[in-house]
Amino acid sequence: MAQFKQWALEYVLSDDETAQLEIAKKAATEIESSRASSAVVGNWAASVQQWMTPTSADDDEMEDGDDGGSGDIIARAKALGFLSGTLEVLEKGLLKSDQFLRLIGFFGAMFSYDHKAGITASAKALRQLYSMKAFKPNMGVKILDDVCKIKEDFRLQTAVTRLEIYELFLGLVQDPAVSSELRLQYGPSCGFVIDLLQLCQNERDPRNLMVWFKIMALLLADFDPSSEVTEEIFKVFSAYFPISLRSSATPIGITAEDLKEALRSCFSSHQRVASHAFPFLVQKLDQGDAVTVAVKLDILKTIQACIKRYENPQANVVPHIENIWNSLKYEVRNGEVKETIDATLDVLRAIARRLDGTGTHKLEDSLLRSYVDLVSRDCRDDLANPTYTKQAGLLLMTVIGANIRAYLLYNASFIDTIRQNLRQPKSPTHTKDLLLLLNSLLKTRIELFRNRKQGHPDDEKALAAETRTHLDTLFHDVYLPIWTTKAKGPVSEEKDVLKQVTQGLALLIGQPVLQPDGTLALLCSASVCSEICSLLTVTVTKGLTLSSNDNQSEDTALEDEAVLALRTIVLNYTDGYAELAVRVKAEIKKRDWVSPSEYSLNALKDLLSRFTFIGCSELPSSIATSTDMPAQKQPSTLEHFITLTTSLLELFPLSSQGRSSEAIDTEDGPSANAHVVSSLHASVIWFRDACEARYGKEVLATPFSGDQNWLQEFQQLPEDWPSQIRRGDEGPDSLLSASQQDGAGLYHQFLKLSLLIVRHLYRSAAFGPRGPWGERALVQLSQMAALVVRNLDEKLQVSCNLAHQAFDFFGSLEGHSEQSRSSDLLTGLLTLGILQGLRPGALEGLYTPGGEAERFMCDTSSFGRSPSRESDIRAAIGAILVNKYNGKPSTSDPDSSVMKRVLNFWGNWVTESVAASSAMDPTTFHAYNRIAMNVLAGAAARQDKHVLALVPTLHQAAASPHPNGEILAQSLGLIVKENPLLTPANHAVVKRFYKQWAYSHLAKPLLQPAQPAPDKDALAAARYRVAVLSVVSKCPFTVYQDDLDLLIRLLVTALSSRGGGNGNGNGNGSSDQQGKEEEAERSAQVAAALEVFVEILSHEPQALKGYLREVIRGVTGVYQACSPFAPVKEGGGAAAASLKAPSGAAQATCRRLALQVLGAIPTRFEERHVLVYSLPTQRMLAVACGDPVRKVREVARSARANWAKIVV
Amino acid sequence: MERDLDNANPTILSVSQLPSRSRKGTAARHGPDSTCHGIIYPQHHWPYGSSPSSDEDEDYNEDPMDEQDVYDLISTISDPEHPHTLGQLSVVRLPDIHLSPSPTELPGPESLVTVLIELTPTINHCSLATVIGLAVRCRLEQTLPPNYRVDVRMKDGSHAQDDQVNKQLGDKERVAAALENDTLQRMVDKMLETCA
Repeated sequence: MAQFKQWALEYVLSDDETAQLEIAKKAATEIESSRASSAVVGNWAASVQQWMTPTSADDDEMEDGDDGGSGDIIARAKALGFLSGTLEVLEKGLLKSDQFLRLIGFFGAMFSYDHKAGITASAKALRQLYSMKAFKPNMGVKILDDVCKIKEDFRLQTAVTRLEIYELFLGLVQDPAVSSELRLQYGPSCGFVIDLLQLCQNERDPRNLMVWFKIMALLLADFDPSSEVTEEIFKVFSAYFPISLRSSATPIGITAEDLKEALRSCFSSHQRVASHAFPFLVQKLDQGDAVTVAVKLDILKTIQACIKRYENPQANVVPHIENIWNSLKYEVRNGEVKETIDATLDVLRAIARRLDGTGTHKLEDSLLRSYVDLVSRDCRDDLANPTYTKQAGLLLMTVIGANIRAYLLYNASFIDTIRQNLRQPKSPTHTKDLLLLLNSLLKTRIELFRNRKQGHPDDEKALAAETRTHLDTLFHDVYLPIWTTKAKGPVSEEKDVLKQVTQGLALLIGQPVLQPDGTLALLCSASVCSEICSLLTVTVTKGLTLSSNDNQSEDTALEDEAVLALRTIVLNYTDGYAELAVRVKAEIKKRDWVSPSEYSLNALKDLLSRFTFIGCSELPSSIATSTDMPAQKQPSTLEHFITLTTSLLELFPLSSQGRSSEAIDTEDGPSANAHVVSSLHASVIWFRDACEARYGKEVLATPFSGDQNWLQEFQQLPEDWPSQIRRGDEGPDSLLSASQQDGAGLYHQFLKLSLLIVRHLYRSAAFGPRGPWGERALVQLSQMAALVVRNLDEKLQVSCNLAHQAFDFFGSLEGHSEQSRSSDLLTGLLTLGILQGLRPGALEGLYTPGGEAERFMCDTSSFGRSPSRESDIRAAIGAILVNKYNGKPSTSDPDSSVMKRVLNFWGNWVTESVAASSAMDPTTFHAYNRIAMNVLAGAAARQDKHVLALVPTLHQAAASPHPNGEILAQSLGLIVKENPLLTPANHAVVKRFYKQWAYSHLAKPLLQPAQPAPDKDALAAARYRVAVLSVVSKCPFTVYQDDLDLLIRLLVTALSSRGGGNGNGNGNGSSDQQGKEEEAERSAQVAAALEVFVEILSHEPQALKGYLREVIRGVTGVYQACSPFAPVKEGGGAAAASLKAPSGAAQATCRRLALQVLGAIPTRFEERHVLVYSLPTQRMLAVACGDPVRKVREVARSARANWAKIVV
Repeated sequence: MERDLDNANPTILSVSQLPSRSRKGTAARHGPDSTCHGIIYPQHHWPYGSSPSSDEDEDYNEDPMDEQDVYDLISTISDPEHPHTLGQLSVVRLPDIHLSPSPTELPGPESLVTVLIELTPTINHCSLATVIGLAVRCRLEQTLPPNYRVDVRMKDGSHAQDDQVNKQLGDKERVAAALENDTLQRMVDKMLETCA
């Protein structure tokens, strides 16, 4: 006893919750150890006795509310807290039932006697007791009774205490045993509910409300209260509607949305409140402008929840429909806020769905029918009024489209009304709106067909039995007449109408019908489909059929719409694409393509691009076939791709003259032939993307099955396979086995066909007449080959021996001399295309000592003496071959020595070419050097260690006094420059940190030697600077950020000396031409330095703080020196004047970058650092605003604005 | 504080209707089929190597400042009353911008050029005409090189008191004094906020 008293005292005196918990645990352990003997439990309960007996003084205090007694109240509350705390940690099954009853009685009594101190602890204790094993349902009833006795004083309790009580109530009414006991005792009159309502009806705390709403919803749903009680409950919760929440500085974790949801569930908890809820909500909605959008949304969502959740809609929803409709229709008809319109439509849709029944149980037909009648009666007239057409249509569409039954009930009459109105439209906009409605009905119909299996089985039967005459005649009765009248020279409003017609036609062709055997077929007959196709084809081919004078419209929106429509059409009506192909071919062939006008070429480009898009950007669906289509002809998914590519191959070449037989004219613009090849390339891109979109990347990555050699299969094809396929001959078709029409199988068939096309074009380019093959066409072919080849897996690339085809071009080499092949731009591009797409493993066979690969990697003998397209190609091929070499010993290269030899070769070549005695002519050196650097770039990307051996040679060569040294230094950046050929997509081996690696070996060692110093070789230092700048400007900032200090000094030097790589004048009297080239390189150096400055300024400007004066002066100097108006100083020594030689573009780039650096400075530094430069800089920038180049002017203006903010 | 607007319903042009510099040749078409045009009809059709591309040079062609440039500078100034730009409200119009001598006849880079802007207020009693003129003047002085002289006027007959307004805008001292006024300066700054 004494022990419990002591603990109780400690508990009362303590303010620390953890300590209190500890004490409670001790008491609980004590009770548990005695197995709840009556004595111990009695002692425990009696331990708080001293605080329980109120003194007379207490009573007085209670009455007059004097503060003097508050200490006792607190102590008493704590003492009770000791008891409830102990119960909280006590084992749940321990207390005996008599003890249990006594405790319930004790704590229950608190609600009658001790409203100040006892409630919190008692509520807690009762909740604990409720969760104990000995709890009986009848005790629950008693607890409810007891608690309700608190009456008026309930609202005086703190929110937390009230929450305890609400939780207690919720627990009790949720408990099935207690609730059945309650029902038994009180019956439908539910007396306790009235008590509860009286107790809680003034609740305002959001957390408590959440629980209280839940309790009320349960009372309505589970307790079957009498109608009077129901009304009382409804009154209590509806008084809160619409509910909102004041924003509070201390968030409580409950949002206004939570409260709305909870209150909404009260409304929708049971249909017995339907007769109160609907009129109440509708009346709230009808308050007009007083209702805000948020409240409106709340009301609409609540109505929707009620409609969805009330059972027996016939009795509970139907009587209110008319009222709801009459109130809601204005929200759409006259509404302006999209959210409320959407929410209203949701309600109307919910009604239609509810009246239809469920997937298993259909309701009576008449319910839905009368609802649809109600809606249509009100909306039909509005369709004739242009102001309300859209809104009325929206209402009707929502109801009709809600389910199949509603659609079947009213679609015919709806279409009829639209048709009548279309005969006498009030304005083009009216026509457009009506067409929009018609189109959306057609769209809805497709949706309903798609989802027909999800509903009741009767729905599908009803769809099959649908009458279709009103749909059959749509084309000839509605769309065609509008099209015919508007299509002649439409003005802008009529164009919108035509766009709707176009969309409608596409939807019309897509309409399915359900055949008796359950399969789908197309609604339109083949003749109608064909008619629609030709109508749209005319629009698409318009560019080519009309002359440039007749077709000057800039707006292509209608054509684009027609293209989209045709794409949708040929997905279902597959024959449409063949018809389109015939028409396109005929139109193209009508024109002369030997020397076409720019207009014709653009028209051809547009037409082919659209033709390709229509056929290949989406995979045709395999379900819909026309009813009158020959049964044996099943459309294949590849059908359009085949039609397209064979048509394009048939068109190619459009012109075979106009070019000299051997040389490829590089400067010429695009030709008709190039457009055809571009379109073939596009068709592969589109189809591949469509496959990816349909099947996903994983399916496309499925490996090819078995050992296949497609090239062998191709050899068995006749030369004229495209025309054979088009004619539908058996032979070539067998190549593409029809069994694999889906997923990976389809994709592989597509790749096979693509490779066949590549092979065909390669042979034509390599062995046929050169006339048709211009540079653009070849580049496109090369890229198309790369695309196809890189999508094949390694096994297939090896089994088809594609590595060798890169040099054989899929044919025999008889009659073609080795020399002409290797030096030719054409063959170079063809080789590059295949090599670009090959995986490293498939290239292994090429690296035989002295083989093809080695020849390409280190051949310097066989092309022109200046940088040219040929040298570009050679450089690209070199980079790829070096990069994809895997370095391991292989059968073809057992010592893995090829790479060493290649790099040695270039090392020696560099040394020789810059040596004064045997130096090469700089122009030739320039060309070969590009190859060398690209070869190194390929090796550096996979961090080949042989490159490191070459680095000292490169450094040495760069410092050579010969001008070639500077060319080399300038080009070192190519090693780290982004190369589109060396990317993971092209299966190149690119190490993640190769740029860091290259920088640390190539440029970092030069940072110190490049610093200008009197005791150093100035020329070597300048060359090193050029080399460092070249590398650094091609690297991301993070690569060189650790060396900023040394680097910035170099950059500043580069700006202030401007040029100087050859500054000491090597005395060999360079010609004007050579001088110009050198100057161009110098301006490139300045540009590189400025680019690095821009990077530093955006990443780590503080590094420049100590150099601001030099940077601003240097940059200003660069701008002035590059200005086209700068006076040309006499004498070769003037570095500034020397910058005038390079092209205007290079100069303008320097000026732009200089201004960019200058403009960034005031934004990155505090005013005090830049203040002193402000005036002169602003003056200079003001002049720069008059720069002759517009782009430079723009940068100057923004720089000027930045500097203007510095207040002097 | 709601103030009655001088002109509550001005005519507003959409951005696409404003005069702009049309690119050389026809602009690229943006149909549904043109998503892969970047690959099949690339701007630089030679993707390998460093051969100078003619297209890039075109961006850096010398293009002396012309009326359209001046229009672009001032048409984006916001109207003090409406949430629209002076270009959209046709207060600033391309034909009402005059450069003399014209850009093609410019004798040298530093020769003096006079820019005459004629503003057309949306209504002829617009009380904010002076402020608009001031803003146009400020914008041009901040963005044109020093050899350009700016002259802002109301178009003849477009304003009931155009003489007075023109006098104010033409008087350097008055302009300078106006910009000393904090309220005016803030207003002008607000109007210039929308200028890129």
